[in-house]
Amino acid sequence: MSIKTEIVKPKNLRIFEADEFERLLQGLQVAACMLTESHQVVDEASVLKRLRALTINGASDGNCCSCCGVGPFESRAQQTAHYKQHWHTHNLKRKLFGKAPLTLGQYNSRQDDSSVTGSDSETEDSATNPESDLFAAATRHCKAFFTNKKKQVFCIYRCILHHKKEELSTDGEGIAWVERCQRLTIPGFQRWAILMVSGGHFAGAIFSGGIAVVHKTFHSYVTRRGQGQAQISRDQHGNAPRSAGASLRRYNQAQFLEHIQEIISRWAEDLKGCSLVLYRAVGSTNQAALFGKNSPLSRDDLRVRALPFPTRKPTYKEVKRVHETVASIEVYDTMELFQKALIASTSKTTTKNNSETTVDRTKKTPKSSNKVIDRAKSRERVPRELPTQIMSSEDEGPCFIDSETPVGWIKTLSEQCTNGVISNSRKDLLHHSFGDSDSSQNEEKTELKKDHVKKKKKKKPDDNKQNKKISANVKKMWKMILDKELTSLETILEEFESNELEAACNTQDPTDGNTALHKAAIAAKPDMVTQLLVAGGDPCVRNHLLQTPYVAAHAHSRPAFRFFQASHPDKYNYNESQIPGPLTQEQFEQEKEKKAQQKRAKRQREKEKQAEKNKVNKFLQMTDHEKVKADVPKCFLCGTNLPKQPFQYNDYKFCTITCLQNHRNLRPLHKSA
Amino acid sequence: MAVRVQFENNNEVGVFSKLTNSYCLVAIGGSENFYSVFEAELADTIPVVHVSIAGCRIIGRMTVANKNGLLVPSSTTDTELQHIRNSLPDTVKVQRVEERLSALGNVIACNDYVALVHPDLDKDTEEILADTLDVEVFRQTVAGNVLVGSYTALSNRGGLVHPKTTIQDQDELSSLLQVPLVAGTVNRGSDVVAAGLVVNDWSAFCGMDTTSTEISVIESVFKLNDAKPTAITSSMRASLIDSMS
Repeated sequence: MSIKTEIVKPKNLRIFEADEFERLLQGLQVAACMLTESHQVVDEASVLKRLRALTINGASDGNCCSCCGVGPFESRAQQTAHYKQHWHTHNLKRKLFGKAPLTLGQYNSRQDDSSVTGSDSETEDSATNPESDLFAAATRHCKAFFTNKKKQVFCIYRCILHHKKEELSTDGEGIAWVERCQRLTIPGFQRWAILMVSGGHFAGAIFSGGIAVVHKTFHSYVTRRGQGQAQISRDQHGNAPRSAGASLRRYNQAQFLEHIQEIISRWAEDLKGCSLVLYRAVGSTNQAALFGKNSPLSRDDLRVRALPFPTRKPTYKEVKRVHETVASIEVYDTMELFQKALIASTSKTTTKNNSETTVDRTKKTPKSSNKVIDRAKSRERVPRELPTQIMSSEDEGPCFIDSETPVGWIKTLSEQCTNGVISNSRKDLLHHSFGDSDSSQNEEKTELKKDHVKKKKKKKPDDNKQNKKISANVKKMWKMILDKELTSLETILEEFESNELEAACNTQDPTDGNTALHKAAIAAKPDMVTQLLVAGGDPCVRNHLLQTPYVAAHAHSRPAFRFFQASHPDKYNYNESQIPGPLTQEQFEQEKEKKAQQKRAKRQREKEKQAEKNKVNKFLQMTDHEKVKADVPKCFLCGTNLPKQPFQYNDYKFCTITCLQNHRNLRPLHKSA
Repeated sequence: MAVRVQFENNNEVGVFSKLTNSYCLVAIGGSENFYSVFEAELADTIPVVHVSIAGCRIIGRMTVANKNGLLVPSSTTDTELQHIRNSLPDTVKVQRVEERLSALGNVIACNDYVALVHPDLDKDTEEILADTLDVEVFRQTVAGNVLVGSYTALSNRGGLVHPKTTIQDQDELSSLLQVPLVAGTVNRGSDVVAAGLVVNDWSAFCGMDTTSTEISVIESVFKLNDAKPTAITSSMRASLIDSMS
């Protein structure tokens, strides 16, 4: 206790100095720092009164949050929203630690900082609230604090007032504490035993009023120096050393335990008379020596308490010193002196810890910076440059940049296809469309494409005029397809020359990439689809949405594709067209028939179900008496079919026991019957 | 009417049972006395089911439940979970949660509409809780205790909280939960009210030590004297409130 000497030297008293002790106890009170806030004493009348108010009003309307100091809230929504904020949770935790709540502003600013410094705010807080700090220190201290009439403050070891397991209430005035303290003046409560066992040393004494009545110390050779600490446990685990020294030690150990037990049993009568048995015995073997079999002492006994401070080797001298220390009372003349001493003692211990840790840290840091990565900490963020513009390496860059919507993206993709990025196999298929499309959609070209077109133009200037003429015809064909009344394209198809026909059929509309085949399929005209396919319309061409004609088709026109595939299996590469497979007229009819049959069966089943339902409803609407008469095997309550062995009472039959119970409950009259 | 009952000479009935408006869970004990008390009182209206959690009998403290669902800790074995699923009504959602605070009953207090939870409860657990039990979740403490589940007994009609809860706290909690609250004790002064008492909207079971004064408080705050299981308080309430708001 070197701390006391720094600040103020408290007077030291012994409990056994009867006169002085009694003078000290005059006007005894528990020190304020020990006491928790007194709660309202709940008496029956007030509770019942409150209850009555509650039953009238229902839920209380105290809609504010005292924890955060907010409210009253305007609406329920606002209230619930508040209780779900992190701010509220944070304040809740602060309240648990006895700290003042933060306002929203403080909390927000704290949040910004806390991402950098985790626990700094905690230490700062504890410094700002000395009162709760004092309370925390006082309640954790190994001594209890009292004041008396003269405003002196004095400290007594808790271990002589109460056992660790019995909590004395600190509510209100702490009457239990005062009582325990005053009891110490009675000579019967000054009869203490102190027992210490450690490392083959035993020391024990029984004191009455400060004087040793009996005492005993002895020492045995139970630890072999330089052989390691766990000699007993090694013996117990079966790999016991067999040397002469080890067996000597084992023998001594057994003797030592026996000896202690003998002494304690001899003292049994004296120990019974003691108001307090203080012991120090670390480890299971030492404790077994004191509390082992047939020992008059028991660990459950509330008189038996461990010593609250470290001790030296058990000798008679040490036992006397321990007794003196336990019995001593520190007296401070004023509250201020005491508080200073207390806070100094607590802060000293904490600073000591801090300094130790900082030393550790400085020792460790160079090591860690060299080799070990501390994964518990988040790494410092290194500012890195963002990568430069995305597609710089690819040749078709600008295409991606101007596409914003997905459709636009697909469009650019298909344009890319037409630009020749596409695989070689399809290149010749698309070849025709080049000429047409650049003629009709000049405005939309990217620069790259324009170059491409220019090259072509130079090559075939004559084709261009022809293409224009064709495109006029094609436009006419498209119009015809969209015409609702027409079902055939024969007239317009005859107008094309045989070498132009295929190209015309595969010309893509620049707005959506649809060919004539697409348009016919979408317009649900199967005849036109067949005609176009015969004329050479490729079913593999994809529009801007990457759909083949079959995929884009209306359900009515889809079979036409499959019929065509059945009749002309080799005309096109159907793998690319996404047509699911060939279909003959016969198969189609069969499938149709099958579906119709299924539909009929389903309708039949539904009809039956409805009939059954009506039957049950009719049954349920009958009175119980009629149900008994009808003798239909159905549950009287729910109308389901009865099992083989139905549950029944009074001739009423049920499917399950719950139905029976419910039925009974519905008709309380039958209960008595 | 509150019923006094003991579990193998132990008064902490809330530890060994869980009561909701649509089912009741009871620990598997050495004798059937405890179970038969529950069955006699409840079997007409709701199923009473024998249950263990991870082989333990402290089901009341390990689980959290209301009429909509049941949460069990991750220690629950597959067979136990299967048994629970089989024996409860199909409308009750049963869910296992991975939560560090595994004694869910101690850290969560709930009725069919709101739940108070321990301030440190996992965010994921909070979401599962809200989904499974269909409740609004609030992080709170009761009388400075974080174990809200231990110190609060809640039903849709009222609630009993730790005896040292201040009047102001009671008012706040009450307005948050939208039910009347009162501070009180069970089992001759025990402050762990949830351990000494299980309650639903029309019945309550408390430890054998509970005094008549405590019972009268319990009956009046939970409004048990006039209570019968009705559709209005159980199944229709939500729809009524929806249509009125």
